[in-house]
Amino acid sequence: MADIRDILDIEQPIIPEITRETLLNGDKAKKKYITAKAVKRPEGMHREVFALLYNDNKDLPPLLPTDTGKAYKPNKAKLGMRKVRKWVWAPFTNPARKDNGVFYHWKRVTDEPKEYPFAQFNKQVSIPSYSDAEYNQYLRCEDWSQAETDHLMDLCQRFDLRFIVIHDRWDKAAFRDRSIEDLKERYYNICAILSKVKTNPWSNTVTMVNGEKRVYHYDAEHERKRKEQLKRLFDRTQEQIEEEQTLLAELKKIEARKREREKKTQDLQKLISRADGAAVGGSGPVGSDGAVGLARRHDRKLHKKKLVAQQRPIRTVENVSIELSGIRFPEARGAGVWLRSQRMKLPAGIGQRKVKAIEHELRQMNIDVVPIPTEMICRHFNELRSDISLALDLKTALGSYEYELQALRHQYEALNPGKASSGARRRRRRRPPTPSRLKGPRKQKSFAYKLLKRGLAKSFAYKLLKRGLANLMSPTSTSGVAPPLV
Amino acid sequence: MSLPTDFGPDSGGRVKGVTIVKAIVYGNVARYFGKKREEDGHTHQWTVYVKPYKNEDISAYVKKVHFKLHESYANPNRIVTKPPYELTETGWGEFEIVIKIYFHDPNERPVTLYHILKLFQSPVGEGVPPTAGRALVSESYEEIVFQEPTQLMQHLLTGIKPLTNGPWTHETDFEEKKKTTLEVISNAKSKLRSEITELKNKLNTAKETISKLKEEIAKLQNVSVQYNNVSV
Repeated sequence: MADIRDILDIEQPIIPEITRETLLNGDKAKKKYITAKAVKRPEGMHREVFALLYNDNKDLPPLLPTDTGKAYKPNKAKLGMRKVRKWVWAPFTNPARKDNGVFYHWKRVTDEPKEYPFAQFNKQVSIPSYSDAEYNQYLRCEDWSQAETDHLMDLCQRFDLRFIVIHDRWDKAAFRDRSIEDLKERYYNICAILSKVKTNPWSNTVTMVNGEKRVYHYDAEHERKRKEQLKRLFDRTQEQIEEEQTLLAELKKIEARKREREKKTQDLQKLISRADGAAVGGSGPVGSDGAVGLARRHDRKLHKKKLVAQQRPIRTVENVSIELSGIRFPEARGAGVWLRSQRMKLPAGIGQRKVKAIEHELRQMNIDVVPIPTEMICRHFNELRSDISLALDLKTALGSYEYELQALRHQYEALNPGKASSGARRRRRRRPPTPSRLKGPRKQKSFAYKLLKRGLAKSFAYKLLKRGLANLMSPTSTSGVAPPLV
Repeated sequence: MSLPTDFGPDSGGRVKGVTIVKAIVYGNVARYFGKKREEDGHTHQWTVYVKPYKNEDISAYVKKVHFKLHESYANPNRIVTKPPYELTETGWGEFEIVIKIYFHDPNERPVTLYHILKLFQSPVGEGVPPTAGRALVSESYEEIVFQEPTQLMQHLLTGIKPLTNGPWTHETDFEEKKKTTLEVISNAKSKLRSEITELKNKLNTAKETISKLKEEIAKLQNVSVQYNNVSV
């Protein structure tokens, strides 16, 4: 309520509460501690916000930041106890200068007079020198006259090998215009020749050529090409730049497309190889008629399971009996020493899943997975495993036939529906279905179809279909087909 | 080793049509200390070995046997050049020992055996469970087949002296094992053969049924198509 009053600007008589604090601090005139107990902080309001509204002396918070408090006043900089040292405006000479120019700078009175510290950075380039005789003997060049060479060396000395400046100051009136590369080439050639000549062991003259023995080889041709390249790069027009960028983007696109195509080809190859093997399992169960849609859906479900369960593709009908002949163990090898047990190793072509299945079968037969290796045992053991493999393959193939038969049955049923009347159908639908009410496999099947068609009691319908299948599977034999092993 | 005949660097060439089989037994015995040894935590003393199955001196043709132990052993590559080809160590864990048998003739390549060192009785042990106090034995039978051996090797393999004058026996009765294994496998095989024939018959029946059904369906489809045409 207090804040509402406050908002509406309703004055409220302040009745100073007599608390312990007021009693205790009442005498102290300097510090006024009137607690804002009278105005209670509403729940949910932050303490800081509340403090802005209701501070001790009921004043509005200042609009400008004030810094009157004593406590947090920063100290004045008091860095050293000693007196400040004096600075003077003093003259100095730079030993790097040859004109004895006198300049002034600020320095401490106490500082020792010493050499100008930056003089050490005045590095001098030592330019090789040559006499006329030396020039005539070693440095003759068809393209360069001696005067021109002298001019070059002079400029090199004057401008400390700053070839750009040298090029700029080149006496174009007296000599023909030369590129920076030409100048550099000539200069470094001279350096190389002189360093070679002057350091030959018999002359015994200490070389002054740059003070180093290693000769810097200047590859003028390369430098020219480099500059040309850079110039071309720099001189490209906006259109050229854009064209280049579009070309690069194009290249990227082409490469991406290529990769994608390769990936697709690989996938396709995989699919083809799988489809080759799975001719029965892949195409068989799925009928072409629209009426088999339900059966198809059912089959697809089963089929999916089957695909997960078996990685080995099922071969076609004809191949099953011919191609499936178990495992072919490698023939006896040539001369040399070998261990009998090596003969019992399964060939590398057999998949992990198959190996596991065979081992499982062996264990069921109570046969050691690695039996004692004698010649007879090896032979029989290998034959046995070959037979196991064959039996497993046959069972898998049989399983796939089973599915196909099932699909065909469904198709047949769909084309040739049972004789149940529509009235009976309706009645059955309403009543909860029980298997006992349905007599005969055919009726059960058609009933299951109707259930499926209406999307009713699916699992029950599938159960019916599955059970019915065993009887329908082979009309000639009374017994059903053994379920697949794997 | 002095040889009566010098067969030259190619050991006299291969002898055609000859195959010599030498049976060996390899494995390990292990004995429990009764407690964990304080200093290194070892619990068992074990001996890994390669010995002839029959009473023969295999050093006639075996040059050396190389036992490769677990890398945690100091110098895990142990080579035994003289019979008995065995190695005794202590340890606390089971691991695979690679046993490589080298022959006197360098033209015959060495053969490699793999043995899992066994220290602890597996809960479902096959064979005779060793009684308390007796050492645990885990050994395997193997046959080394020398197919078309070199003349030198043939010479070495044929003139083998017996190892001892006394009886030569093994912890495991391999003869009995051979017999029962062969029996079980043969029985299983004949049983499986009949199963396969049955399976093949079933497969054929299924095939026929499928083709019959397909015919039926094709007929029905034709009928329904005709029916539809008439009604339209």
